[in-house]
Amino acid sequence: MHILVVEDDKRVADHVARGLRESGHMVEIVDDGRTGLLRAVAEQFDLIVLDRMLPEMDGLKLLAVLRGTGDATPVMILSALGDVDERIRGLKAGGDDYLPKPFALSELVARVEVLGRRAPTLSEATELCCGDLAIDLLGHSVTRAGRKIDITQREFRILEYLVRNAGRVVTRSMLLEHVWDYSFDPQTNIIDQHVSRLRQKLDRDFEHSVIETVRGTGYVVRTG
Amino acid sequence: MPRLLSSLSFRLALSYAGLFVGSLLLLFGGYYLVAIRQPIEATKVRVQREVEALTALYERRGSAALVARLQRRARLAETPKTFHAFINQGGRVVSANLPSWPAWSERRWLWLEADIFADGNEIDFDSLTLDHRFPDGARLLVGRDLNVVRERQLMMLSSGLAVIGGAVAIGLIVGLLMSRAIGRRIDRLADTARTVMAGDMATRVSVDGSGDEFDHLAQTLNAMLDRIEDSFESVRRVSDSVAHELRTPLARLQANLEDAGGGDGAQIGPVQDALAEADRLRAIFDAVMRISRIETGSLQAAMVEVDLSALLDDVADFYQPEAEAKRLVLSTFIQSGLSLRCDRNLLFQAIANLLDNALKYTPAPGEVVLSGRSGRSGTVISVQDTGPGVPAEALPRLTERFYRSDKRQEGLGLGLAFVAATARLHRSEISFHNDDGGFRVEWLLRHGGGPSRPGLTENRKTN
Repeated sequence: MHILVVEDDKRVADHVARGLRESGHMVEIVDDGRTGLLRAVAEQFDLIVLDRMLPEMDGLKLLAVLRGTGDATPVMILSALGDVDERIRGLKAGGDDYLPKPFALSELVARVEVLGRRAPTLSEATELCCGDLAIDLLGHSVTRAGRKIDITQREFRILEYLVRNAGRVVTRSMLLEHVWDYSFDPQTNIIDQHVSRLRQKLDRDFEHSVIETVRGTGYVVRTG
Repeated sequence: MPRLLSSLSFRLALSYAGLFVGSLLLLFGGYYLVAIRQPIEATKVRVQREVEALTALYERRGSAALVARLQRRARLAETPKTFHAFINQGGRVVSANLPSWPAWSERRWLWLEADIFADGNEIDFDSLTLDHRFPDGARLLVGRDLNVVRERQLMMLSSGLAVIGGAVAIGLIVGLLMSRAIGRRIDRLADTARTVMAGDMATRVSVDGSGDEFDHLAQTLNAMLDRIEDSFESVRRVSDSVAHELRTPLARLQANLEDAGGGDGAQIGPVQDALAEADRLRAIFDAVMRISRIETGSLQAAMVEVDLSALLDDVADFYQPEAEAKRLVLSTFIQSGLSLRCDRNLLFQAIANLLDNALKYTPAPGEVVLSGRSGRSGTVISVQDTGPGVPAEALPRLTERFYRSDKRQEGLGLGLAFVAATARLHRSEISFHNDDGGFRVEWLLRHGGGPSRPGLTENRKTN
């Protein structure tokens, strides 16, 4: 992907850029809001990583102007104001995702991948398939290699989110936001326990595990 | 009525009415003394003297001489006009120009009506009469007309009552109206103060421009609120910039550590420990900031009507695997259809903190029960466990920041501080109890207890 990073702190910007380049993206760095807006309008980027507080022009202001021109490029907001409150304000201003500083690079990369490849037609499918796994979205049932697997509604939503983003790493906080629909900070490993219960049910009598753990980051469902 | 009596302006009006009635009484009293009492007393003295002279005459020269004197007295065209009646010891009326008198009276002084018809006109006379009895049984009534005074007296009695009654009535009505008018303006002040206390710092008292004392008070209050809001705002700005200034180096630290560890989650031991420590720093920092923001009211709570039963089910569902991993039973008694005006994210986090604590401190095998029910005074959420409880001396300190009753357990000591801040924001009460065989947290959210901030609810949605 071609990604624009608007961030005035050079070290954070370099760090982010290196992480994204290592994952195979093209990155351009801009260190103030005005230039950021000009670049964003001049060229069609696949994604913009935008700092909340910027010299020349505030991040939210930039976002508002950009959205005002009808530009729908996915925007990931980075902010040192890490409150639920701030988060809501950021998303309302037109941001697509919000990450409070400090963040783990792996978290940022995972979110960028999911955000950048959001497929618009995905929601119309009635069945999701991934390897020998099949998810019936209408009947809320899961089969693996033709065998029906009993899982709870919550586990179904975890699995659905992972499979929709198959091939991309999904972090714990992403799961929390999308599966539980509450913005909060559990500060515990409870998400892991939900996933491990789901995994036990899916992998019973199978050698190959559907959900893989990415150490220190989250989970991934492999496509192959 | 007690509320009315306790109203200052009504009490003022009452005392004003009392003062008014008092001065009226003084006025009437003075008039009575000068215009009524004095002429009556003077007449009494005069009649008394006459009776004394007549008695002397009767005793010395007998009844014929008395009658002659009385008749002569009646003929004199003296003012005030004179009246008399003489009844001898046999009960016969010997001489009288009084038309009538009572056959028997205990009082010495009598008012007797003695109207006279002259040339077809009735002239009103009221005789102030001394009823005298001689030792031999004869009776002598002697009096003088005091019709003018008598009429004054009657008039004063009736008009005085009407005037005083009217004054009391007017005083009360004016007092009520005054206390209503003043009360309304004071209520406006109190309403504003309450709204501000609920966290809406932008509210101000309306100033109607009349320039009266209440307007001055309102202006002073508004100026005070401006000052307070300014200082709140500067505290917020400071904490925002502290947040920013601390987070950025923390972000760099984390970035450097990740780079040092080679990235990709494959960090070596010490680096990984340092990363975990950085994460812990951020967690403490976030938690402290969030609590202060809730407490200073700068975190604008998104108060909406929330399906509390579903929310409680969600929290329990979230912690179910944790309970199973610890071989604890997590059960729920949640009344269906519970609904509450609250901030759902804050409430979820607060109840999650309570469950987290209960699961952390309860040894296996044990049980944790989350319950929600609607009581008479409000909705009660409670978390009960079969753990060892908390030492009694620690109970009042549980909600202090960084307080941990059991230092061996890891944790930030901020969980319950967060719960308490959230409870305060929702104007609810939270209490901690050591029960037989367990620890219980009870959270009472009163009906209509949440601060209502319609301006914020409409344009804010939780995500």
